[in-house]
Amino acid sequence: MKPFSYARATDPADAVALAAGEPGAAFVAGGTELTNWLRDGLSSPALLVDVNDLALTELAWSRDTLRIGALARMSDVARDRSVRLRLPVVANALLASASGQVRNMASIGGNLMQRTRCWYFRDATMPCNVREPGSGCPALDGENRWHAILGGSERCIRVHPSDLAVALTALESTVVTLGTGGSRRIGVEELYRLPGDTPQIEHVLGHGELITAVEVPLGAFERSSYVKVRDRRSFEFALVSVAVLLRMRGREVLDARIALGGVAPRPWRARAAEDALRGRRLDEATVEAAGEAAVAGAVPREHNGFKVELTRRAITKALREAAG
Amino acid sequence: MSTIGRPLARVDGPAKVTGTARYAADVHLEGLTHGALVRATVTRGRITGIDASAAEAVPGVLGVFSHLNLPRYAGAPHPFPWGKSHYPLQDDRVHYAGQHVAFVVAETPEQARHAAGLVRVDYAAEPASVRVTRPDRGSAAAEHVIDAVYSTPMQHHNTMEPSATTAVWDGDELTLYDAAQSMSWIRQAVAATLAMPEEKVRIVAPYLGGAFGCKGLAWPHVFATAVVARAVGRPVRLVLTRAQTYTSHGHRAEAVHTIRLTSDVDGRLRSLAQTVTSQSSSYDPALCYEGLDASGYLYTVATEPELAQRPQVLDVDTPAALRPPEGPGNFVLESAMDELSYVLGVDPLELRRRNHTDRHPDGTPYGTGKYLLDCYEQGARRFGWHRRKPAPRSTRRGGFLVGQGMATAVHASYSAPARALTRLTPDGRALVRSGTQEIGGGTYTTMPQVATDALGMAPGAVRFELGDTWFPPAPTTSGSMTSISVGEAVHHSGMAARTQAIALAVADPASPLHGVSPADVRIQDGRLLAPNGRGETYRQLLSRNDRTIETTGDFTGDGLNSHSWGAVFTEVEVDELTGEVRVARLTAVFDCGRILNPLTARAQGIGGAVWGIGFALTEHTLLDRNLGRILTPNLSGYLVPTEADVPTLDIHFVNHPDPTSNALGVRGMGEVVATGIPAAIGNAVFHATGVRVRDLPITPDKLL
Repeated sequence: MKPFSYARATDPADAVALAAGEPGAAFVAGGTELTNWLRDGLSSPALLVDVNDLALTELAWSRDTLRIGALARMSDVARDRSVRLRLPVVANALLASASGQVRNMASIGGNLMQRTRCWYFRDATMPCNVREPGSGCPALDGENRWHAILGGSERCIRVHPSDLAVALTALESTVVTLGTGGSRRIGVEELYRLPGDTPQIEHVLGHGELITAVEVPLGAFERSSYVKVRDRRSFEFALVSVAVLLRMRGREVLDARIALGGVAPRPWRARAAEDALRGRRLDEATVEAAGEAAVAGAVPREHNGFKVELTRRAITKALREAAG
Repeated sequence: MSTIGRPLARVDGPAKVTGTARYAADVHLEGLTHGALVRATVTRGRITGIDASAAEAVPGVLGVFSHLNLPRYAGAPHPFPWGKSHYPLQDDRVHYAGQHVAFVVAETPEQARHAAGLVRVDYAAEPASVRVTRPDRGSAAAEHVIDAVYSTPMQHHNTMEPSATTAVWDGDELTLYDAAQSMSWIRQAVAATLAMPEEKVRIVAPYLGGAFGCKGLAWPHVFATAVVARAVGRPVRLVLTRAQTYTSHGHRAEAVHTIRLTSDVDGRLRSLAQTVTSQSSSYDPALCYEGLDASGYLYTVATEPELAQRPQVLDVDTPAALRPPEGPGNFVLESAMDELSYVLGVDPLELRRRNHTDRHPDGTPYGTGKYLLDCYEQGARRFGWHRRKPAPRSTRRGGFLVGQGMATAVHASYSAPARALTRLTPDGRALVRSGTQEIGGGTYTTMPQVATDALGMAPGAVRFELGDTWFPPAPTTSGSMTSISVGEAVHHSGMAARTQAIALAVADPASPLHGVSPADVRIQDGRLLAPNGRGETYRQLLSRNDRTIETTGDFTGDGLNSHSWGAVFTEVEVDELTGEVRVARLTAVFDCGRILNPLTARAQGIGGAVWGIGFALTEHTLLDRNLGRILTPNLSGYLVPTEADVPTLDIHFVNHPDPTSNALGVRGMGEVVATGIPAAIGNAVFHATGVRVRDLPITPDKLL
C-alpha cells in the first residue's frame, strides 16, 4: 500500500472539484471494494476523496421512477418495504450479493463500480491486460472456469461481478453522474465497456465523474425473478445469474427482459432471448428457445464451457420462478 | 459427582469474545518493530539481483534482509516432523512461487509493507511443474469389482488468525510469541537452527485462532523473524498476510487416488488396493501426509490390502498435514465402498456391517476399544436410514433431487510424552500447568475438569495454564493426542498432589483425619473426609500447615495410541436445474472413548462437520499450471462454508471409556470428527442424482 492523502467532500460539487484537481484521485464510499484495491496494489490513488458526508442516501419515489441516491447502503435498499414490494428483483439481487456486513457498508454507486474478480487481475504481480495493457491475459489458456463466454476478446475475458447491475440492466435503469462538465445520464448497460482491444478501459466515466443516483423505471413488468447460481450458498459471486422481467396475459408473454450476470464483462442483456419469448406462450419449447437464443455466439474456453448449459438452465429456472 | 463429563462452558470463551485474549500479534512491547515479507513471483529459478534502495529510503525502514545480507543460520534445516528441509533467505534459489525472498523491517507495519512493495527482485526463471499427473485411464465397475480414479484438490488451512511471530532478544535469550501449535517442536527447531541451547529459547502461545496443521511445524518465517530481531537489536513482529499464509506454512497436497475393490457376491471384501499420488517438494521429496493406514484396518479383507503413497516431486512448497490427514484416503475408500454397494445391490450401511472387523490387523481383539457398530446403529436410527429408497434419483422435493448417503469415519489417535504440574496452595485452590496449546479443541476447559476430579475439588477451584515452554513440556497439539497425553499427565499430577495432601492430613495431629488410613480418605468438593464423616478442607489443612504442595505427573506413551470411529449420515438436496448441492441434514455418531465435556465435544463435532462440508463442496486452492502460482490466496477466492452452507447438525458420541487408551479412557477426537463427512456427502449426491463425482469439490458444473 502506498501513502496517500485523504479529503472529505462536503457536497457533490466539492467532491468532483477535489477529485478533478488531482489526476490520481479516487472516490471512496463504503470502502469495501476500494480498500481491497489499495491493499492488493491494484490501484494506488494519491488522494482519496471520501464522499460519505454527501446527502445522496435518499430513495425518492415518483409515479414512474425510483431514484436511489448513490450513497444509499445496499442493505438499506434491500430491506426497504417499497423496494421489496415494487422492485423485488432489485431487492433479491442485493440480498444475493456479498454478506450482511458488506451490504451494511457498501454503497449503491460503489457496487456498480466494482472491478472484476478475475484472479489474474486481482494479483498485481501477474500479467493482466486490464492493469498493464500488453502484458497478456493468462486466463485465456489458464484457469478460466469463472470467465466470460460472451462479450470477451482475445485480450480479456473478465466478468463483471455486480448482481445489482444485472437487475438494473434488465430494468433499463439509468445512472446519473456529476462531472466537471456537469450532470449526465447513462444507461447502466452502457456504463461498462467491453474489453475489445482496450481492456484497460473498464467503464465510460471520466476522471472525477461521480455517480450521484440510479434511476429505476417502475411499473411495466408485474413479474420478475433473480436467480443466482454459485459455488457457495452465501457471500460468493455468481457463476451465472439471471434477472427476468415478464409482462404476461395468462400464459402468453406480452413483454420480457432478460439480463445475465457472470457470463460477460458487463451485465449482459439477452435481447435475442427476449425476442424468443415475446408474443409466445410460455411453454417448455419457448423457454428452451429463449435459453438457446441467450447463449448463441458464446465462446467457451477450456474450463467454462459448462456456463453455456448452466446459462440455459438458469434462464429456465428464472422464467419458471417469474411466471409462477 | 464427577466433573468430567459435565457440560461446562468454555473457560477461554469470555476472553475470546471480549477481545482480551492476547494472541501472538497482540503482545505490547517497548521498541517493537514490524516485518513484512517479499515473495518470489517466479515458480522456479534463481534470484539474479535485489535492488532494495527504494525500500531502504522509505521513512522508518530499519533494514531489508535477503540472502545477500541475512546472517547464515548456524544449524541445518530441521525436517519433518519439526519443519521442512529448506530455508529461504539463505541462498539465491527459488523453489516455488511465493517463497520468501526478502524481509523488510520498519517502525510501523504500514511502512514495512509499503517498503516491501518497493523491493525489486530480478530472477532467472526456469521451467516449472506444479500439478499432479493424472493416470490416462478412467474409472470402471463390474459386478464385484470397483476400479476407480479419484482426485482431491490442494487445500489450505485458512485459520482465522494468520500466523504471527514476535521475537524478543534479551542478551542471548530469545522469546518468541508465536502462533504455535507445537511449542516443543518449534523450540527444538529454533534452538538447532540458531545453534542455541534449548533453555535459552522460550515460546509463548496462550491462544491460537485456529491451527488445523499449519501452525504445527517450525516454519522459516519464525527463524527469519528471530534473526532479523537480533540483527536490528529490537523486537520484531511479523504477521503473515492472508495471501502469505498460502505459501508460508504448507498446504494439503493435491492428490490423485486409485482404488480397486473386489468382493464376493455378498459384498465381503476379497481385496483392496489403494494408492495416493500427491504433490511433494524438491527438498522433501518423500513426504506424503495423505495417510492410507485406515484402509489397512477398517474392514475385514480376505487378502492383505495393498496400499501405496507416491509423492510426486513438483515445484511447490513442502505440503503439511491438514485436518484430518487421513481424510482424503477415507473419502476414496468410503466412496468406493458406496460404489460397490450399488453394483452389488446391497444397502451401503449393510455392506459396512458385513465387512466390520473387531480385530486389529495383528489379530488381537479391539475388546472394549471399538464401538463402531453402535455408531452405525445409533446413527441410522437418529437419521432414519431405514426410510431411504435404495435406487438413485428416486426422490424429488420441489425442484430438488434428494439423496441420502453414509460413510464410516475413522482416524488414528497418537500420543507423546507429556508432563503437567499441580500446585495446591494454602488458599485451598490449585494451579495446574502444562506446556500444551489450545487450538480450539477445549483444552483450557477439559484439563481443569480432569484435575478437579483427580483432586476431588469443586468446579472452579482449579486454574489451568498452558501456552508457555516455561511450563512442564507437552507435545504438539495435533494427531488427536492432547486429551490422551496431556490429559493423563494432568490426571497423574493431580492424583499425586491429592496423595500428598492426604498423607499430610493423616500425619497431622491437628487434623480431624489424624491417624486415619490414607486409603480410607475420600475427598469431595475440596473436603477431605474420614469414614466417620469428619474432615476438613484443603484450605484448612494447607493453611494451618502453611504448605504448598507441588507435584508433577507424566504420560509416557509415544506413537500410535488408538483409533476413533464414527458413522456419518447425510441428506442432500441437489437443484435439478443448476446442480447446486445443499446439505439438508447431517447425523454423525462418533466413538472417541470417554467424553470429557459434551459441550466442547459437540463444538469439535460441529467444527469437523463444517470442515467436511467445505472439503466436499467448496474448498480448493486454484493453482495455475502455466504460471505455477496460486490464484485464490484469500477468503474471497478460496471458499470455506458459510452458515448458509451448514444445516442443523445432529452430533452424538457413544461415550464409552476405552481402558486401553489412557488412564482416563479418552481417545482422539479432533480429526475423526472431520472424517467420513466428505464421503457421506458425495455418496448422498450420487444417491440424489446418479452422478458419481470423483473429483472434489463437488461444484455445480460437475452435476449438469
